[in-house]
Amino acid sequence: MLGTIDAGTQPAADLAWRAGWQAAAALGVTGFCVPESRGGFGLHVPAAAATAQEFGRALHGGPFAGMTASAHALGSADAPEAAEALAGLLSGTTVVVFGSCGADGVARLVDGAGHADALVISDRTAERLVLFLDSSSWQPEEHLAFDVSRAAADLTIDMARGIDLGPAGLARDIYELLLAADTVGGIERMLERTVDYARERQAFGRPIGGFQAVQHRLADHAVHARGMALIVNEAARLLAAGDDDATRMVAVAQLSVAQGATHLLHDLVQLTGGIGFTWEHGLHLFERRAHQNARLVGNPRAAASRLAQLEGWADDV
Amino acid sequence: MTSDIDHYRTEVRAFISNNAHPMAAEGVRAPKDAAEEATIRVWLRSLYTAGYLGAGWPEEWGGQPDHPAVFDLVLMEELILGDAYRPLDQVMLAAHTLIAFGTDTQKAEFLPKIRNADHIWCQLFSEPDAGSDLASLRTRADPEGDGFIVNGQKTWSTDAQWADMATLLARTDPAVDRHAGITAFAIPMDLPGIDVRPIREMTGHEEFCEVFLDEVRVGPEHILGEVNSGWKVVTSGLASERAFVGANAIQLERLFDDLVALARSARLLDGTTVASHEDVQLKLATARARVEEVKLIVHDTVQRILIDEEHASDGPVAKLAYSETNVYLCELALEIISSSVSVDATGTAVADRWRHNFLWSRALTISGGSSEILRGLIGRQLLGLPRA
Repeated sequence: MLGTIDAGTQPAADLAWRAGWQAAAALGVTGFCVPESRGGFGLHVPAAAATAQEFGRALHGGPFAGMTASAHALGSADAPEAAEALAGLLSGTTVVVFGSCGADGVARLVDGAGHADALVISDRTAERLVLFLDSSSWQPEEHLAFDVSRAAADLTIDMARGIDLGPAGLARDIYELLLAADTVGGIERMLERTVDYARERQAFGRPIGGFQAVQHRLADHAVHARGMALIVNEAARLLAAGDDDATRMVAVAQLSVAQGATHLLHDLVQLTGGIGFTWEHGLHLFERRAHQNARLVGNPRAAASRLAQLEGWADDV
Repeated sequence: MTSDIDHYRTEVRAFISNNAHPMAAEGVRAPKDAAEEATIRVWLRSLYTAGYLGAGWPEEWGGQPDHPAVFDLVLMEELILGDAYRPLDQVMLAAHTLIAFGTDTQKAEFLPKIRNADHIWCQLFSEPDAGSDLASLRTRADPEGDGFIVNGQKTWSTDAQWADMATLLARTDPAVDRHAGITAFAIPMDLPGIDVRPIREMTGHEEFCEVFLDEVRVGPEHILGEVNSGWKVVTSGLASERAFVGANAIQLERLFDDLVALARSARLLDGTTVASHEDVQLKLATARARVEEVKLIVHDTVQRILIDEEHASDGPVAKLAYSETNVYLCELALEIISSSVSVDATGTAVADRWRHNFLWSRALTISGGSSEILRGLIGRQLLGLPRA
């Protein structure tokens, strides 16, 4: 198991998020990717991405990406059980998380699985989505996660007890994109904070942001952060429009953010100096979360090989 | 509007395929000989005559009413896609400077000659000791009678070896603030005392020139704008045809496609293609992500330019992102070529083009605002950091 380096110092993940969740759900945040006929807003992926960004900025403890992907899957399915689970998800009373498993029936790294009422699992072997309503149908093994703002678990699932929801559809793309959006929100907040710090922190009689060694790196990060945010928005727009290029752009967004975020955030620590290295300052919380987001979607290598396949780079000429 | 744009694009594309003088290689535009110079001038003239260039000028100088700025972008994109010889930015900047600051006499004399491609313009701005820090320029224009005597040395002047005219910056008042003591002049390049020496660049081409000005006598009719307001004259000229920046997206997309083609055709000793290897795919994917980022940054900038809501840092952000990613793609191409035993059926043509692009990519990160200058502008104008 990975991710135990700070096992002795972990604060609890913010499990209090559920207390406020019904109020958030009342605003409609779980229904952005649910058809209007099923009580949602249609396919407003850009709105979902903007919300994921805000949750990322706030280090929100809930599995927003997974719930939105699950809501989309449930809203697109005909099974009667799906309607009931969806109603609970939309009202904020039920937490339905999202994961994916292979032939062994193990779903690795399911975000929020520890407090899930139900699961939507993308069965990669059958390329179908499956709903699990009874918590006795899965066995969690909690991760002592590197990310301390959320909790993930590996689930061993009794696949025979699942309810078929139909073909995979867009749920996985939505899930992956919203995790990238979550990271972008964190990057933007930390970049703003580091720029503020560089404007105010004095060294050798002047603000450190006046030194090129600091200023130029912040400029590069600002350009890169803008690029990442624009890619996430573009992928969201394409998904919402049903564009053929959407899946490819989701892979690009994932790769762009997964590769860029950890480097960028880690350099912000350097630019913030000793204070940035403290637990209290909190930059590390966003680094941990960005790293976890990249793992949840399958890591940069997976995105790269998906892109290679989608763009046909390795096909015989 | 979309159908207008599509219609315009179709028309421009056909025009280019029927008339264009080809682009030899990225950044190579000085004519090889008199014959090529003549065909380049014919081609540039045809762009003005057809109304593709100069369309945004005032109507009295041949512009068209309600010319949409987005058409400039479409033109530039199609020129890139058609491998056509591209309009000379120094000439377009001169035209905009003349329109904004020229006297009626200057406009009447020079604008028609630009349209007719009788006049190619160059810029005499940079000096051996004044590059990115242009305001430190030392070329002097000392009053003499009703004109000036100019002495100094200029460098990095693209096209000076065949230009008919130049926009010159010289110091007319050494006593005041360095930005305030500079005057702009519009001068013929055949004035006595002007000596042009092409510089051989690391690409092997001679695109830039040194220009020596020795006791060059200029008259009051050569002053562009007002005496000691030269800084304002040239910096405002830099804002013209802003939508052209959008064409960088197409340029980069094209370069990426070429890179993939290279990786798919280049073979290793064991006969496999470079692109079939996972490590290369990861690099291509990283490059793809960067290209998409830049394309969106550039499009975002163009959208703001088209509605006149551009932020001062937008141009620097787009140029930095584009030119640095261009370097990145070229480096990757060279890495692929270095590790291959064969590149493609054409022998060395593909590899040579990449090697040229690789070397040329540094021209783009140094000229027109070096990456270091741009990072400073972004730091101050976008992030609100203090001056370094």
